[in-house]
Amino acid sequence: MSRRLALVALALVGVLLAPAAALAEGGEFKPVDEFLNEYWASFALGPLTIGVSKLVVYLWLGLAITIILTLWVVRGGLRTQPGRTQTVVELLYTFSESNIGQATLPKAAFARWFPYVASLFVFIWTLNMISFIPLPLDTHNPLYGPIPGLTLYAATSNLSVTLTLALMTIAISHFEGARANGVWPYLKSWVPPSPPALKPFLIVLEVLSQLLRIISLSVRLFANMLAGHLLIIMCIGFVILLGKLFVAPIAIPIAVVFWIFEWGLVASLQAYIFAMLSGIYIGSAIEPHH
Amino acid sequence: MALTDQGLVDAAKALALGLGTGFGAIGPGVGVGYLIGKTIEGVSRQPEMRSDLQGMMFLGLALTEAITFYALLMSFVAFFIA
Repeated sequence: MSRRLALVALALVGVLLAPAAALAEGGEFKPVDEFLNEYWASFALGPLTIGVSKLVVYLWLGLAITIILTLWVVRGGLRTQPGRTQTVVELLYTFSESNIGQATLPKAAFARWFPYVASLFVFIWTLNMISFIPLPLDTHNPLYGPIPGLTLYAATSNLSVTLTLALMTIAISHFEGARANGVWPYLKSWVPPSPPALKPFLIVLEVLSQLLRIISLSVRLFANMLAGHLLIIMCIGFVILLGKLFVAPIAIPIAVVFWIFEWGLVASLQAYIFAMLSGIYIGSAIEPHH
Repeated sequence: MALTDQGLVDAAKALALGLGTGFGAIGPGVGVGYLIGKTIEGVSRQPEMRSDLQGMMFLGLALTEAITFYALLMSFVAFFIA
């Protein structure tokens, strides 16, 4: 227990030190610098630039933890007396099965789309959880010489990541809806039964709401993580920005409280919401009339 | 200190950030309060429904709260990008 507390305390000290690198640099402190993505190595593929940046490293980390940890637990032999890691993985599985899969997907589509929704949940959850641990990946504000500074960055606080995930969900939901009902009946199921005079108005509204789903799904996760991180960084950064030390006793406890709140609640909640809404969209496309 | 065009633009951006975030927080603030109040009401009527209601409350909370962040995001766009 005391070891775990020490780990959390260590992470907290890292969080508090994250903007200090910018101060040591002697330059101007900008909270937005935390979200810059510089390519460390890249090559051009036609009009695209493909390369490795902070964001890509975070995505790899998330993928590695998601895939290797779960595979290691499941293939490494499940025990009837589960250890700590197995308990966490089992908890994640039961939660995504009962609260996300069975709660949203229709029975016919459960076996087909539960793996997608569950891996979406575990992947986003992992990305959100590691985003509140300060990692030494900030090359923009190096700590000392070649040693990169600590950073508090989330892969999910980048719109490209969340938009990709949201586009995948929406594409799957339309494809599955068209496959299960036929293209024309599926498109007709968008518009609720209504008097013919209202029909054109409703068609425009429903098509618009289908398009807005992409935006709301992606921006919800993106803005939550961005605002959360920016809030923590800014609270600590106030001391540096204002250059007055007497702000510290007020600003730093606020930063700590927000850090605990974001890590303990918002990170899990947003992963759950994203996966659950994905399930709802896919489920409601397959069975339009509940 | 002279009033320059750039200074006016900067002032307008700062106003956009503050006003946008503040006004954007009004609606969700009312919503979150209503949501939690209604949940407390429901739990006090039927304490055995507590866990169900709490789950739904957190879901609604995250959905309502997200609206604040849409406003915050647009304010950031106005302040940092535009």
